[in-house]
Amino acid sequence: MTALARAVEALLFLSPEPLSVGVLAELTGAGELDLDAAIAEVAARHGEGTGIEVAEVAGGWALRTRAQLAEVLDRLRDRPPEDTLSPAALETLAVVGYLEPVTRPEISRLRGVAADHMVSALVERGLLEEAGRDGAAGAVLYRTTTAMQQRFELKGTEDLPPVESFQLTGEEAGALKRRLLGGGHLGDGPQGDG
Amino acid sequence: MSRARSGTPDPLGQDVDLDLFEGPLDLLLTLVLREEIDLLELPVAALVRSVLGEREEARWDLETISELIVLLSALAELKARIMLGEPADEEPDPDAIEARERLAARLIAYAPFARAAAWLGARDSACRGPRYRRVPVDGMPPPVEPGDPEALRAAMEALLAFEQPSVAHLDRQRASVPEAIERLRDALARGSEVSFERHIGGRGPIEEAVALLAALELSRVGEARLDQPRPLGDILIRGGLR
Repeated sequence: MTALARAVEALLFLSPEPLSVGVLAELTGAGELDLDAAIAEVAARHGEGTGIEVAEVAGGWALRTRAQLAEVLDRLRDRPPEDTLSPAALETLAVVGYLEPVTRPEISRLRGVAADHMVSALVERGLLEEAGRDGAAGAVLYRTTTAMQQRFELKGTEDLPPVESFQLTGEEAGALKRRLLGGGHLGDGPQGDG
Repeated sequence: MSRARSGTPDPLGQDVDLDLFEGPLDLLLTLVLREEIDLLELPVAALVRSVLGEREEARWDLETISELIVLLSALAELKARIMLGEPADEEPDPDAIEARERLAARLIAYAPFARAAAWLGARDSACRGPRYRRVPVDGMPPPVEPGDPEALRAAMEALLAFEQPSVAHLDRQRASVPEAIERLRDALARGSEVSFERHIGGRGPIEEAVALLAALELSRVGEARLDQPRPLGDILIRGGLR
């Protein structure tokens, strides 16, 4: 291994947060191209036959254990049973992931239910964090954390599928409007099909 | 209220259990997209209660809750119209149509997040394997130095040998109600009527309070009668009642 690759490997081993190439450049004094090569070298060293892998996640590079080893690792460090996420928690994470930074009232408005408790619970679990205050209303803004992006193996929230891919199809939106706008009318009432 | 949505690709394709929805948008989106379900089944009252009634502890901002009330009203109006029917030749209520259009717009805006949540749920199940280092570098506790048992013993001995400081120099005020009762009984034995102010003359506030308790106690057991001719004035204590 090159000296730079050894340094990168050691830094990734020691850091609890993923390290971006920019941060690695600051720490090692190396250029980005050299760092890309060093990261590739470290990743090659930790290939399929090893217990650790290099992953690009949450805006940087991290050393992490291989998925197949979860069972034995959790004997050392149990995942708490409450670590599962409810549908409401997933929905709140989705709203924040796409709109961050976003305020609680905005989350409540989109979901149609009060989001206070859920946001607090997700902050407590380290999946959301405060991100300053909204300039106009002064409400606290929230964003996803590194832990959230690690959990869902996202390089960043930009790694989420485009929100358009989850939108209702034209047919679904048409059916929705038809049922809501045309409901209760007998015969040829206004059907609002568009 | 929760629904096991994790791992399913689309929440809108699941079985409908009206008890398991979290909010009006969640429920309504599923219902209106599945035409086999009659909107007459919509439990509007239960829905309103679950959103507004049982969540009193929730902090709603005025704008959000106002909009939600408008949406729920549109829902109630829609159900009523479906139940009663509306003749085709009657002009539809423009306000009702506008409210329903807003409701439809909200549902269309909400749908992507419900589906994205399902995507995250599936992803959460698929990405459960890898584990990451958790302890922050700065947050790691310093290594514990091996301790010297003799040093610990010396520290404990010094602690155990600590002498309680003397408080003898502090003035202790003692006031006993039984003693005050006896004093009052003596005073009443000397004369059938005692002025409270004269009785306590020159004593401190604690002794004054205790003397009052003594007078009240004698009154309670019927040995004395208390009389205060004017508010905040002297109390006359009369004895010889037994």
